[in-house]
Amino acid sequence: MAKVIVGRGNILSRSGDIDTARLKKLIIKSLQALVDTPSLPEALHQIFPRPASVGLKINTIAGKKLSTRPEVSLTLGRLLLANHSGLRQVIIWDRTNRELKQAGYRLSQKGDIRIFGTDTRGVGYENKLVMTQNIGSLFSVIQTKLTHYSVSLAILKDHGLAGVTAGLKNYYGAVHNPNKYHDNHCDPFVAELFSTPPVKNKHRLTIIDALLVQFHRGPSYHPRWTARKNMLIFSLDPVAADTVGWQIIDQLRRQAGLPSLAEEGRTPLYLQTAEKMGLGQTSGKIEIKEIEA
Amino acid sequence: MKRREFLKTTPCLALLNPAFLPELCSNLYAFDLPPNLSKVEARYYEKLPDKEIKCHLCPRECHLGDKERGYCGVRENSNGTYYTLVYGKACAVHVDPVEKKPFFHFYPRRQTLSLATAGCNVNCKFCQNWEISQVRPEQVQHFDFPPRMVVETAKKYNCPLIAYTYTEPVVFFEYMVDTAKLGRRAGLKSVVVTGGHINQQPLKELIEVVDAIKVDLKAFTQSFYDKYVRGELQPVLEAIKLIAASPVWLEIVYLVIPTLNDSPEEIRQLSRWLKQEIGPDVPIHFSRFHPMYLLKNLPPTPIATLEQARQIAREEGLHYVYIGNVPGHEGESTYCPNCGELLIKRWGFDVLKISLRNGKCPRCQTPIPGVWG
Repeated sequence: MAKVIVGRGNILSRSGDIDTARLKKLIIKSLQALVDTPSLPEALHQIFPRPASVGLKINTIAGKKLSTRPEVSLTLGRLLLANHSGLRQVIIWDRTNRELKQAGYRLSQKGDIRIFGTDTRGVGYENKLVMTQNIGSLFSVIQTKLTHYSVSLAILKDHGLAGVTAGLKNYYGAVHNPNKYHDNHCDPFVAELFSTPPVKNKHRLTIIDALLVQFHRGPSYHPRWTARKNMLIFSLDPVAADTVGWQIIDQLRRQAGLPSLAEEGRTPLYLQTAEKMGLGQTSGKIEIKEIEA
Repeated sequence: MKRREFLKTTPCLALLNPAFLPELCSNLYAFDLPPNLSKVEARYYEKLPDKEIKCHLCPRECHLGDKERGYCGVRENSNGTYYTLVYGKACAVHVDPVEKKPFFHFYPRRQTLSLATAGCNVNCKFCQNWEISQVRPEQVQHFDFPPRMVVETAKKYNCPLIAYTYTEPVVFFEYMVDTAKLGRRAGLKSVVVTGGHINQQPLKELIEVVDAIKVDLKAFTQSFYDKYVRGELQPVLEAIKLIAASPVWLEIVYLVIPTLNDSPEEIRQLSRWLKQEIGPDVPIHFSRFHPMYLLKNLPPTPIATLEQARQIAREEGLHYVYIGNVPGHEGESTYCPNCGELLIKRWGFDVLKISLRNGKCPRCQTPIPGVWG
């Protein structure tokens, strides 16, 4: 049974401000609940068992209003470093510095929390292709060499092709050719990319920023179809986390009088594929625990 | 040196400005140059509500939201307007003989100024140039090479032909069309090397401004296109028919890949289709595969397989059937389909002897189709 923590709290205000104290509390409680321990250091040691540097792969493609918020990734990064003696460094990263800056991040290549894109001089992509069943890709050096563990710190959005984009699809930003992974509703490509060694061997945790959810016309930002859900979703099972995200999007669509993703022919089929590939669980085998902060 | 290595390592752009040389020699993925992408509005797309667009350039018909890129990776929706990011942004420029494209019936022995931008609208597992075709423009070294500069450079290097090649020119359609128009005004011909994965309407515009098109027909089954190309066969066949019906010179290349598209039945069906739909005079090149990109597990095509393909195509009535990537093979040369006279003797990309007289066989006076210059 896969466990998914759905953390709720009044974190994102109507004006767009973030209550960072409440956010921090929610992250702590959710991580503790995820591994059933009252101790955050214990929880983090279970999730990241060895001394390491951790990459937080965020999603900044849709600009400031609909990207993983800096407050979320920085709060998480500081909590990791302060509560896990073995973690030396946290790298908050995405494809490009331009997108990171547009999402409100201040780039930094110094200190124990670093923020930079794959297109940073001297970083780039590997020169050796990694094969999935269907496509060959060059992985970001941040994913392959600069980090030992990976957290998919994604954002929850409707996606015109995939149906839903969340934690699994977030790794499209780790390869040089994500445009080649969008055929056939991104199926089986999302699952296949996640199953490659650079991702599967490093991924430890999915956190989905669902403070503001784009439930229609995604993955671009359209304020008319966003909902302030004020949720963060945590799971060690990447498929279960995304499945819960899908349920949230469908719930929001129903409330807005929109057809479900299935009715629109946009079922995120890659989740079933991922389950078949042994990457995690879909509905029916998921225990959802709600946390308030 | 393989063509792929050559493309990757040759400081080709230096011929335009030697000052570029040090940067060109750096790592392909080192990002030493700022992105410097173009933002020229694309043609053949439709604006949709909510800042979405639908591209009508190729059969893929990408439907994209704001800030998304098409499958090709070089066209981007920005705030509801679709832009080409590679207009005038060449990533490879070389002077090549026209035989290298290959064109065997179009201005033999002439030099082409050959250029490419990043990007491709399919993803062939056997791509020779994947380092530039399967990347985004900001991931490869490129520089400003606008149409006027292309034409000036071609003239400077005595190239009567401009070739759009190496990657997939369809994805830099606007750049290609504008350059071809400018080139034509300057007396230069334009030749296109393409997979033919393009919609009919833009193709009609293209054939108005270019002089020759070589189509890489990857196979003659949709299952191959599904599995190894990620594209559609039928639109390619429709494109071939449209080109053949136009004044533009057409040649076909078929890369013969062991066990995947080399069966005698498939070659025979292809040959029959070509003869029936296009006619017996379209040159077809059966080229030798070399293992690369995602198909490194297969051996190079046996020469006997290529010879068998040539034999089948000739049995089916095609007149000009060539063998490619086998330097020195007799199948590289042109023979009179009527009397068998050797008309053009080639060795690799070199033309050793041309016996044609006014486009005719000197022995039996049979006209040989082509644009002989």
